[in-house]
Amino acid sequence: MAEHIHITRRDDLGIATIMASRDGNHAALATALGAGALPPSSAWVEGADSLLIGIAPAAWLAVTADAAPTWAHTLAGRLTGHAAVSDQSGAYVVFRLEGPGARTILQRGASIDLDPKAFAAGSAATTVIAHIGVIIWQIGDAPAYDVAVFRSFEASFRHWLAISAAAL
Amino acid sequence: MRGQTHRLATGGLIDRARPLSFTFDGKAYTGFAGDTLASALLANNVPLVGRSFKYHRPRGILTAGSEEPNALVTLRSGAHAEPNSRATVIPLFDGLAATSQNRWPSLAFDVLALNQLASPIFVAGFYYKTFMWPAAFWEKVYEPLIRRAAGLGALSMLPDPDHYDRSHAFCDLLVIGAGPAGLAAARAAGRAGLRVIIADEDERFGGRLLAERHKVDGMDGPAWADAAAVELATFPNVTSLPRTIVFGAYDGGEYGAVERVSDHLASSLPGQPRQRLWKIVARHTLLASGAIERPIVFGGNDRPGVMMASAVTAYINRFAVAPGKRALVFTTSDSGWSAAEDLVAAGCDVAAVVDARGSPPPAAERLRRAGIRIFEQAAVANVAGRRTRAATIIDSSGRAHTVAVDLVAMAGGWNPSIGIGSNLGCRPSWSDSANAFLLDTPPRGMTPAGAAAGALSLADALASGIAAAVKAGSEMGVTIAAEAPAAEAEPASTSPPHPVRGRPGKAFVDFQNDVTAKDIDLAASEGFTSVEHLKRYTTLGMATDQGKTSQVNGHAVLAAATGKTIAEAGTILSRPPYLPVAIGVLAGHHRGRHFRPERRTASHEWAEEQGATFVDAGQWKRAQWFARPGDRDWSDTVAREVNATRGGVGICDVSTLGKIDVHGRDAGLLLDRLYVNTFSTLAIGKARYGLMLREDGFVLDDGTTTRFAEDRFFVTTTTVNAARVMQHIDFARQVLWPELDVQATSVTEQWSTYAVAGPRSRMLLQKLLPAVDLSNENFPYMGAAEFEWMGAPARLFRLSFSGELAYEISAPASFGDRLVRALFEAGSAFDVTPYGTEALGVMRIEKGHAAGNELNGQTTARDLGMARMMSQKKDFIGRVMANRPALLDPARPSLVGIRPKAPDARLRAGAHLLPEGVRPVADHDQGFVTSVAFSPVLGHWIGLALLAGGPGRYGETIVAHDPVRGSDVAVEICNPVFVDPEGTRLRG
Repeated sequence: MAEHIHITRRDDLGIATIMASRDGNHAALATALGAGALPPSSAWVEGADSLLIGIAPAAWLAVTADAAPTWAHTLAGRLTGHAAVSDQSGAYVVFRLEGPGARTILQRGASIDLDPKAFAAGSAATTVIAHIGVIIWQIGDAPAYDVAVFRSFEASFRHWLAISAAAL
Repeated sequence: MRGQTHRLATGGLIDRARPLSFTFDGKAYTGFAGDTLASALLANNVPLVGRSFKYHRPRGILTAGSEEPNALVTLRSGAHAEPNSRATVIPLFDGLAATSQNRWPSLAFDVLALNQLASPIFVAGFYYKTFMWPAAFWEKVYEPLIRRAAGLGALSMLPDPDHYDRSHAFCDLLVIGAGPAGLAAARAAGRAGLRVIIADEDERFGGRLLAERHKVDGMDGPAWADAAAVELATFPNVTSLPRTIVFGAYDGGEYGAVERVSDHLASSLPGQPRQRLWKIVARHTLLASGAIERPIVFGGNDRPGVMMASAVTAYINRFAVAPGKRALVFTTSDSGWSAAEDLVAAGCDVAAVVDARGSPPPAAERLRRAGIRIFEQAAVANVAGRRTRAATIIDSSGRAHTVAVDLVAMAGGWNPSIGIGSNLGCRPSWSDSANAFLLDTPPRGMTPAGAAAGALSLADALASGIAAAVKAGSEMGVTIAAEAPAAEAEPASTSPPHPVRGRPGKAFVDFQNDVTAKDIDLAASEGFTSVEHLKRYTTLGMATDQGKTSQVNGHAVLAAATGKTIAEAGTILSRPPYLPVAIGVLAGHHRGRHFRPERRTASHEWAEEQGATFVDAGQWKRAQWFARPGDRDWSDTVAREVNATRGGVGICDVSTLGKIDVHGRDAGLLLDRLYVNTFSTLAIGKARYGLMLREDGFVLDDGTTTRFAEDRFFVTTTTVNAARVMQHIDFARQVLWPELDVQATSVTEQWSTYAVAGPRSRMLLQKLLPAVDLSNENFPYMGAAEFEWMGAPARLFRLSFSGELAYEISAPASFGDRLVRALFEAGSAFDVTPYGTEALGVMRIEKGHAAGNELNGQTTARDLGMARMMSQKKDFIGRVMANRPALLDPARPSLVGIRPKAPDARLRAGAHLLPEGVRPVADHDQGFVTSVAFSPVLGHWIGLALLAGGPGRYGETIVAHDPVRGSDVAVEICNPVFVDPEGTRLRG
């Protein structure tokens, strides 16, 4: 009955909010980020050195692994004229949930449809789990998800995660 | 096998290889796996299981389902006790312990049954009539009396030791009820590939197929149901939820359900919740919830041993229990005749079958041939005995016949279980063909099916389920096979409710709330002739069973009493929950300290190590103070922290302040419109204090904003208003001025920020940051800089809330713990002291800074002494409304300082300000004290206050009147800046 789940905290990520300028050219912004096109707020795409996750109209979260602490600053330089960049590397903790139990546990927390027909690898959502704002993006069919939570909520989120994993 | 005297030798869906032990009121019994508590009690010939609510009449088991009004018991004990559990739906488990309730001192002898003798005072509306006067008696005498006498099961008053979970689900088709209609529909939809959820309150799918003897597709009913359930389990697109009650329908196709995950077990499995709350969003819903059999209203119809005919068939066929040895069947529907045949088949004596109608189904002839007495167009007038002993039959010619029986099965027709169908306001209407209220106009997306739609025969129910699935499928563009499973169309005609009146004995309509037919007559004669008034006046249908067996009968009695048809009398709507739901499952994991999520700053662990006491600031946990050995009390601690900071250097975590990046070409312009003062002219590398107003001219929030580049501002807010200011900025840039090129995002979580305050703060920081020139010339008051610390971006601001030479240093929150430790390491040479929010508050009061108590949503910039900050050269949000004459009235309370005339007098926040020598009444009120503190610097209490005509009254003496804590303190009105009014320290 118990479904397998593997949970890890991904540290040393570079994270930044990217918000397109009022009159910005999204195609040029996509090019500057090394992506074919920028995703809507329900999806993510791979950029040259980061994942670009849609979080709102004309706003994305860029996430990259093993980044230098100043990565967002460098990114801001690259996007001058196209977008505003805010460093969020310290703002989020990101958990990776993998295995058959990952979908079950997230479905218990999030009131969005996580069935593969509605949410698959490449999908993203900005939603709420246990009264805590989260950004979820599915990275694989296993399934595997990354879940970003504001750092101050980590203890409360871990409480929900632990108690929910025990009930799988 | 001791005592299972009423267990049939063969048959049933019980597992005779798995005997189970249980206790009821401390007495040991046995049953089998597959039993409910009710079936096991009946097997053990325990017919008396409770006492009624008002009259304490002995009551037995009436039904075999969740509609049960009588057999309410307390399941388990101690903290796990669950009062008002329906014995009819409690799956038996080994070691189960239940106790009867609502009786004192014991079930067999109930002192309060004497209420029956006093029953005239318990008539309809007795709450209103008897206990209206004298009013003071209500709380002291009557209410405790009623609660003890009439209370249902008692709560343990202990914390709930179980835990509760929740889940969410989305589907094309939600099937509520896994009886024949629901199973057929779910299987057909599942085969067609639809995402289906099928939920049933029972642990076993099949509904009435488990309780009756029918064939479906040539298979026995239970076997067909099992096969269907097994097939459903093989579909990845189908979720089966047994033991799950769908309790409410909400807007947008949303349904609430409770899955009883562990209630059927002696105790929850490790990690498993007791129950799980489901929020289900469905494109279409089949309400295949079946129907509930109507009792018949006649004298003594509440005696233990009077049972629904449908329950009798369930106990015989599903549980292999004969609920009596010698039975009488009283019916107004064909289904009652099936019960009679089931009784005969089970080997019970059937004394007679009484049909109120004149044209019984073919079963009558079969039974007559078997020698059973048949009464047509007859009625049962009364049942006698504390436990059913005899029944009086009035035949078609009016002659009375008394028969000795221990079981009376009554079959008064069927009420479709459409409760949740009216949750959204759809009113059921009476059907003369189904003799029941039906949901003609169900809510959008919901289709009643099977017995819930009035299709009472098995063949009709199956066809109805399939038809509803086909219709739902076609609306979603999916073709569902339209062939219904084959079954016989057994006779299933009914008649309207048929109360037997004018005979002695109490004839109960609502068993749980003890409402009789006479009570309804009385209510009608007193003018309570609407079903809604009737309900409230008599409490009909207001018990925990929500009138599932009583409501329609009550409305029929009312209709008769008022000369209306049932259709004209109408029926009520129902609200969620359809069945009782534990509050715990709605709360889920969010209880106790997890009631809401908490936010911790990056220094939390470090502060815990330092022995901090934390205080809630919204969701944040902030260090309030850091007690040290030798501190006498918290005020001593706070005074020590203030003195150490003002005399040397102190550090406080101020990360909870809201932080917002405002970027873009027009960022400065937007800020000019948001703040009363100007920001577009702010130099790069400089910070400025700003004040924002709401559109109505009152102060919204304050904080400092720093410019790091031409198009890059960093706004800070107060802790509590962080989200509001973010919304305010987004509203301004997205709705008011979408033409501006401004991007804004919250970076509150990104930065850990520590205030380093006191005359030695520069030395401390210079030690930590040897590469940054912190000299006053290079880094003056309100200066700001970006640099790197340990390879990470960092920021330094020269800001002061304490009035001292002070800085705020920021690093990414992921470096926050390292930074606080590094600060204290660097500060060890300077005797650095951590200080908490309390010392922070004392120092801001000493400096006369307005904070939450003064920024209370009712104060203007002028009230706070900041009128001059309001720019005359530009427009900004709130400018026009702030200039309303009433807000410019010099008599408006405005900010002043107060100090006690007697140096040792204590001030109290909230005290009202009155002139000396006047009566303390509201007419003399001139303002109130907003913040107070003991000032360690001055050695006496100080306060901030909002006082009429404030700043013009420095030097005056008034009285701070505190009726709550009972003190009058003479205070002098003074400048609110108590410490260093020239500001030489912070610029030093």
